[in-house]
Amino acid sequence: MDARILLVEDDPSIREITAIGLTAAGFAVTTASDGLEGLERFKSEPFDLVLLDVMLPRLDGYEVCRQIRRTSTLPVVMLTARSDTMDVVLGLEAGADDYVRKPFEIPELIARVRAALRRAGTPADGAPALRLGPIEIDLAGRAAARDGRELALTRTEFDLLVELVRHAGTVLSRDVLLDRVWGYDYLGDSRLVDVAIQRLRAKLETDPTAPTLIQTVRGAGYKAVR
Amino acid sequence: MIRGVRARLTATIVALVALTALVLGVAAYVFVDARLHQQQLDDANNQARFDLSVLIPPRLSSPPTLVQITDLASAFKARALGTIIVPDGAEPNYEPAVLRGALDAIPADVRHFVEGGQIAYSWQTVNGKPSLIVGGRSAGTGPQIWFVHDVGAIVSALDQLRLALLVGGLLVALVAVVVARAVAGGVLAPVDEASRAAIRIERGDLSARVPVTSSDEFGRWADRFNRMADSLEDTIVRLEAAQTQNRRFVADVAHELRTPTTALVAEASLLRGHLDALPAEARRTGELVIHDIGRLRDLVEDLMELSRFDAAGEEIRTQPVDLGRLIRDVAGARHRDTVLELPDDRVVVDSDPRRLERIIGNLLDNAREHAPGALVVARLTSSPSAVRVSVLDRGPGVPADRLDRIFERFFMADPSRRGGSGLGLSIAAEHAELLGGELRARNRDGGGLEVELVLPVTEPLPRRDPAAMDEDEAEDR
Repeated sequence: MDARILLVEDDPSIREITAIGLTAAGFAVTTASDGLEGLERFKSEPFDLVLLDVMLPRLDGYEVCRQIRRTSTLPVVMLTARSDTMDVVLGLEAGADDYVRKPFEIPELIARVRAALRRAGTPADGAPALRLGPIEIDLAGRAAARDGRELALTRTEFDLLVELVRHAGTVLSRDVLLDRVWGYDYLGDSRLVDVAIQRLRAKLETDPTAPTLIQTVRGAGYKAVR
Repeated sequence: MIRGVRARLTATIVALVALTALVLGVAAYVFVDARLHQQQLDDANNQARFDLSVLIPPRLSSPPTLVQITDLASAFKARALGTIIVPDGAEPNYEPAVLRGALDAIPADVRHFVEGGQIAYSWQTVNGKPSLIVGGRSAGTGPQIWFVHDVGAIVSALDQLRLALLVGGLLVALVAVVVARAVAGGVLAPVDEASRAAIRIERGDLSARVPVTSSDEFGRWADRFNRMADSLEDTIVRLEAAQTQNRRFVADVAHELRTPTTALVAEASLLRGHLDALPAEARRTGELVIHDIGRLRDLVEDLMELSRFDAAGEEIRTQPVDLGRLIRDVAGARHRDTVLELPDDRVVVDSDPRRLERIIGNLLDNAREHAPGALVVARLTSSPSAVRVSVLDRGPGVPADRLDRIFERFFMADPSRRGGSGLGLSIAAEHAELLGGELRARNRDGGGLEVELVLPVTEPLPRRDPAAMDEDEAEDR
């Protein structure tokens, strides 16, 4: 079945050409022109992925993303007007999985959408369960729990955790993580990794300012303790 | 040469006071010295006159007897006077005996006067003591009698006076130094104030002013200074306002262009896939549209980037960067035919990789634009103090007089050629400055331009974690 995409974008030209491009690539596209309409569409129909502009009338993209995250872990890709750190960080902190900078070319957008969908749909393989200190990871159920209480991880956070734990004890560079978790094959934005790690720590660690489970190796990357 | 107005002023005042004290001291000394000697001389003369005419003649027979002479000598000895009594044709009598020989030192003319019956004197040192010797004949014709006065008291009094004057002079000089410094400080205080105000203005505090505390030359000068500062502040505030407005305009324009540009870029990217389906006569137009939308996109992005610099909200994210690898990546992604001259060893700097990417990318773009089809070389070298990335082309270069302008916004070395936006190098220069480095440009021997990024090495190059190195190597393969 075609993947269903909700596209929330206020500029009519951008909305139309993006919808045309995605439809031509085989996606079923539903569009919304502001934040509130986007949320209503999201609540009334099932989607596989949301493409979300940041600057939206009535309700901005960050807020839409936060509200979606309350009930769903489906992949959200932000369309950011600028590549400023603030935009990127705010988007990721709102729970977005990835972002595409404006202006973008349609093939580039489609590649990012496919990568996000692929990760979301990746079936669990290998050992059914992993463990990182007090954290239990259920690969089949795509869930993680600490002391029996389930942690609310986004897909990206879950994938990042699994990638780190599978290579526990080994330092993984930002580039490697970008490639394996986000599907970037060339020069991605390492801030994606840094922000996602911070969010992950906030959910896993007892004291996120003094992380004991996921460590930063200065100048090299990150590693999960063995 | 004494440097500094304060020091010169102080030195002048002290010198004047010291000179005055010296002249006064010397004059006082000379005066007192003369008065004391004159006084002593007058006393001795008067006494000799009285003694020779009144006191002595009755006590001496003619010729005097030895007894008379010794009696007379001992009588004068009781008055603390030494005497030498010389009866004509007889041996002189010395009282005390140490006076023997004292007459020899007396100048001949003085002795001649005395022999002639007059009273005469001479200042002598007798037996190591300063003395005044006054001589004359008893009753004008009798035996020569020389009175020897000890004037040591005068000399020691003069010694004390000299010491007092010296000490006093030094004290005056010392006081003069203190007073002169205070006076100089007072006189120069407005200069110090002005100096402080000027320093504050230099450091950017345009509101600094000099307090006007008097209506003298300094006061008037301070007033002029303040007016100058007012006008300077006005001008700068106006210029800043104009610049802010200008920058806001650029930022607004860029921002407004962003949305239609985004739509155009997306549309062009789809159109590219359908070019073959267009009728032949429309295909070239389609290609040009796609190409020009790319140029528009670059221009808008450059403008956006510049307006971000102007907003000064730039964040620098440093991490260890393998420069050789970064250059290889950037060249590989944008200009595959660039000739790379990289050292065998890794060159790792603590810097912001996104900005470095942008700088090197822009330098390569620039070289490519100005020297189409020619060889472009990217060279990396490192020294203990700096890391250099040079991009060299074989294009026409830039006239020497315009070389220092190529990092200005919208500067085009050759205005007839419309390649890029004219912003690439200025963007690269701003990034370089943010990273603590700089861009330098020079024409190459044999033609062409070299633009060099110099990054200072401020700390020892960090060693990379071996495990991460393995990962990176794995990535390279």
